[in-house]
Amino acid sequence: MPNPDLVPDRDGITFFGTLSAAVTHDMKNFLAIINENAGLLEDLAAGARNGAVPVDPRKAALISEKIRKQVNRADKMIKLFNRFSHSMDHAQESVDMEEMVLLVAGLAERIIRHHDVFLTVTPALVPCRIQAHRFDLLNLIYRAVETSCEILNNTPGENRKQVTISFGSDPLVPEICFILDTGTASGWDTLFDTSKDRALLDRVNMHVKKAGPGGNGFCLCKTPGKQ
Amino acid sequence: MSEKVLLVDDEKDFLDIMSERMQARGMTVKTADSADKALAMLESESFDAIVMDFKMPGMDGIQALKNIKNQKPELQIILLTGYATVEKTVEAMKIGATDLLEKPADLEALAAKIKQAKTEKMLLVEKQNEDKIKDILQRIGG
Repeated sequence: MPNPDLVPDRDGITFFGTLSAAVTHDMKNFLAIINENAGLLEDLAAGARNGAVPVDPRKAALISEKIRKQVNRADKMIKLFNRFSHSMDHAQESVDMEEMVLLVAGLAERIIRHHDVFLTVTPALVPCRIQAHRFDLLNLIYRAVETSCEILNNTPGENRKQVTISFGSDPLVPEICFILDTGTASGWDTLFDTSKDRALLDRVNMHVKKAGPGGNGFCLCKTPGKQ
Repeated sequence: MSEKVLLVDDEKDFLDIMSERMQARGMTVKTADSADKALAMLESESFDAIVMDFKMPGMDGIQALKNIKNQKPELQIILLTGYATVEKTVEAMKIGATDLLEKPADLEALAAKIKQAKTEKMLLVEKQNEDKIKDILQRIGG
């Protein structure tokens, strides 16, 4: 159950609403495909009843497989959404940043696709944990993904828009890096510079630094000396 | 004659199953997985109706609707959406959508809308031709 003392602010509610809208849209699509497959089975049954065409067992098995595929997609999405819903249950706790990145990537898959951006997550080589409120950390990671997509979409050129997320190699200095493959973007000085973003970074005890071979990325790093 | 439909959705599984069921009902169906591809297809092919997802990556349904209506004003466009609100429906209709249906849509209802869309398109094309003839006659006469 969500902890009533940890109710998100308006910005947090907006974040929750954005991801909920994307997830429910996906769920509707899964249901639509299941519905059409059920309809196709009805069509086949009607044809067989009329004696015109007997039901092809291979066709029936194929439809069943297609329905199962959509049920699996929906099940995966619901599990992610359930974990997201429980991110408000506890106050500060030790949180696995890789797990949180994968959760955001899964839930925001549709949004990222809408930006025409490809997201790759490089597995962490060492445990990458931080003491934080899970929901705030998810919100910050989502803001970073959203910012990366916006930068890529504002960068001229027809190149593939790719964001690669990786993790720091020192477990004592946890960090998540977002490397943008398409050129060096401008506007780094104002990255996460709004009062909302600064407040969010402060709540998670993190700061932003430039990263990448050509300065074409940024990392969210734990602020030293803070718990 | 059967209705010729362009089905546009970014969900490939949805495109496959819908086109199969629509073809089984005698329609000729072509598919596109983005609005950009649909617009490109419209340059070389003619359709009676377009059935298009409201929200897609790249160009969304509303923008695509505007572009298609600019390119082919007579074309009838039925939008599909996960959640049909009154506001969304009004917005779509204002730009020229023929209808807006909620997913999962009833195929028989959709087929009826497509049939109706074809009739409306034919009436519009007839009217356009009449106007053209009137214009030519006026120019010759005047």
